[in-house]
Amino acid sequence: MGSLAAVATGCSSSCGSTRSAGNSPGSTPASSAAVLKEPRRTEKSRVVVVRAKQALTHGYDADRGALRAMLGAGLAALAGTPDGVAGLRRYFQAGQTVGLKVNGLAGRNAATHVELVDELSALLQQMGIGGHQQVAFDRFASDLTASGFKLNERGDSYRCTGNDALGYEEEPTVMPSTASRLARVLTERVDAVLNLPVLKQHMLSGMSGALKNQFGCIHNPNKMHLDKCDPYIAEVNAVPAVRQKQRLIVMDALRPVVDNGPSYQPGMAEVANALLFAVDPVAMDVVGLELLEDLRKKRELPSLDKVDLAPTHIQTSAKMGLGVGERAAIDVVSIEV
Amino acid sequence: MSFSRRDFFRGCAGSGCALALSGGALGSLALFQSRPARAAEAPRPHPARFWKKLANKRVQCQLCPKQCLVEDRERGFCGVRENRGGEYLSLVWGQPCAVHVDPIEKKPLFHFLPGSRAFSLATAGCNLECKCCQNWDISQSRPEEVDWHWMPPEEVARRAQSEGACVTFTYSEPIVFLEYCIDTAIAAHKLGVRTTMVTGGSGEVDPMKEACKVLDAVKIDLKGFTEDYYRKLCKGKLAPVLKTIETVRESGVWLELVHLCIPGANDSEPEIRDMCRWVKTHLGADVPVHFTRFSPQYQMKNVPPTPFETLIRCRDIALGEGLHYVYTGNVPGIEGEHTYCPRCHKVVVARHGFHVESVNLKSGHCAFCGQSIPGIWS
Repeated sequence: MGSLAAVATGCSSSCGSTRSAGNSPGSTPASSAAVLKEPRRTEKSRVVVVRAKQALTHGYDADRGALRAMLGAGLAALAGTPDGVAGLRRYFQAGQTVGLKVNGLAGRNAATHVELVDELSALLQQMGIGGHQQVAFDRFASDLTASGFKLNERGDSYRCTGNDALGYEEEPTVMPSTASRLARVLTERVDAVLNLPVLKQHMLSGMSGALKNQFGCIHNPNKMHLDKCDPYIAEVNAVPAVRQKQRLIVMDALRPVVDNGPSYQPGMAEVANALLFAVDPVAMDVVGLELLEDLRKKRELPSLDKVDLAPTHIQTSAKMGLGVGERAAIDVVSIEV
Repeated sequence: MSFSRRDFFRGCAGSGCALALSGGALGSLALFQSRPARAAEAPRPHPARFWKKLANKRVQCQLCPKQCLVEDRERGFCGVRENRGGEYLSLVWGQPCAVHVDPIEKKPLFHFLPGSRAFSLATAGCNLECKCCQNWDISQSRPEEVDWHWMPPEEVARRAQSEGACVTFTYSEPIVFLEYCIDTAIAAHKLGVRTTMVTGGSGEVDPMKEACKVLDAVKIDLKGFTEDYYRKLCKGKLAPVLKTIETVRESGVWLELVHLCIPGANDSEPEIRDMCRWVKTHLGADVPVHFTRFSPQYQMKNVPPTPFETLIRCRDIALGEGLHYVYTGNVPGIEGEHTYCPRCHKVVVARHGFHVESVNLKSGHCAFCGQSIPGIWS
């Protein structure tokens, strides 16, 4: 697998493309042609990587100005629209209730940045989805508060709740290898999901990204850590409520955890100043893995497959038809803001 | 603590799990049964045993063969043991989510005080995930997903004593709450109350040896006799279960085995025969073996109930291999539910379902021919 840096710089001779933030998204000839010819397929396998020179302040907190620029550029590039709000309209409808599936497991140092959720929430409000129609959620309320989120069920701001508040479906959803009770937030409260994973090395699954983040929608992820979480991650992502409600993925790769994850260990996070955008969770993780491996290489850490931690769940998911796993079939668009 | 009428009726009218746990109207008294799928009170952590510290605040659980590597703020496969800052904690010690008084025959323990009662309790969690689990809504749940009562060991012992019952750890998987089991068994023995365990047997040797010091009888589910079965249907392994069975047998604690016969999954003639030969060779012919009927549950609702003929065939195979005490279960009214003297072949304990109809034993010997019948009879 080639490195992400190589893809970004060598896109003219491959399927990727690069743009500057000043360009009108979708205006470059190569991508426009691709969108016109096969709009659906191209969009589904497109991953937009947006980097800022400095997206963090004080080493951790996200810079809201930088985030706004990154979100605007990334959403527009992914959707082929003039701006981010128009981009969101491709995936969500005014009046829908949208779940913001954050990753709050590892506390403030390795969770989805609150500032990112705030800025996305503002864009959703601009497109007609009010705060009361947005629900940030993850498994435990305590994890969310430890990650800097404020539990909230009132006011103009987005709602924020742990699955433990509303609970889980009474009957299990049976999958080929296992069974789970789905979070009621997912099945009953929201119409669509905006998945907001954090890019992390994971000592059990190899990598935590868009696919793994859906473990936060089930009651028993601990039962699915065997065999590098494979095929459990793929099977959870194939559950209709999970698969069909997920409309958009924005991966927080501002400061990925490059080793000893998924929890935060001092010195194990690497500033990357990146956000990734996709609708295809498999393609997203293929590209996320490249970025993670690049960061590991920079630190002289071995490749994940060298330490028997290759995230096999990504290709299992591809084989199950959940997205595009072949790197050559993924259109990586790199943007600097 | 005490149980209110509301607790009692809530237990009786609870979920399908309550029915599974109580066996319907067959003699169980549901004192408390959790209702699943609702937010419950946060569990109270208690120091766990059987684990070791690793670098970076990680721990490795050594309670069962899973040997889970657990990150800070994470839990093991069982879902009831959590790493908090490098310290491993049990989240279910003293916090049962199901408490019933059952006939001992329901466990089933057929050679242990026939007709007696078992003060039965379980917490959330299990270190397996059997596709056929009839108590999946507590075994596959986390502590905070079930209602639980605070019931420390001394309280369990006192209540069992007042019920004239032994204490039985059962329903989910007692190995995942082993600290609570051991502490409760010690408290029970202090009051002269006996203790039993119903387990899948997927434990490490040292913890099981420790448990055997304070238990009087153990029933182990030998769910299948191939690694393939355990891997595909239970997310477990056969070898550690066999080791546990041998450990319990060697400890001198009374042991009975149950094999749930699932059509097409673990009921082939070669598999049953291999299992019976292993039992006879490694444990001896006197260890009771129960072949019980499967009913569609959890992830196996598409599999039909076990035909009666299958249970009879399995029992015939076991008897043919020379096992002395072989039973059929979950099918009241057939000959396989009685205990027969292996010498004169007369019925020494007659049963119907969970009810004991007659006991023809004198000081542990057949009342007809004087043959010693192994078990704990008084």
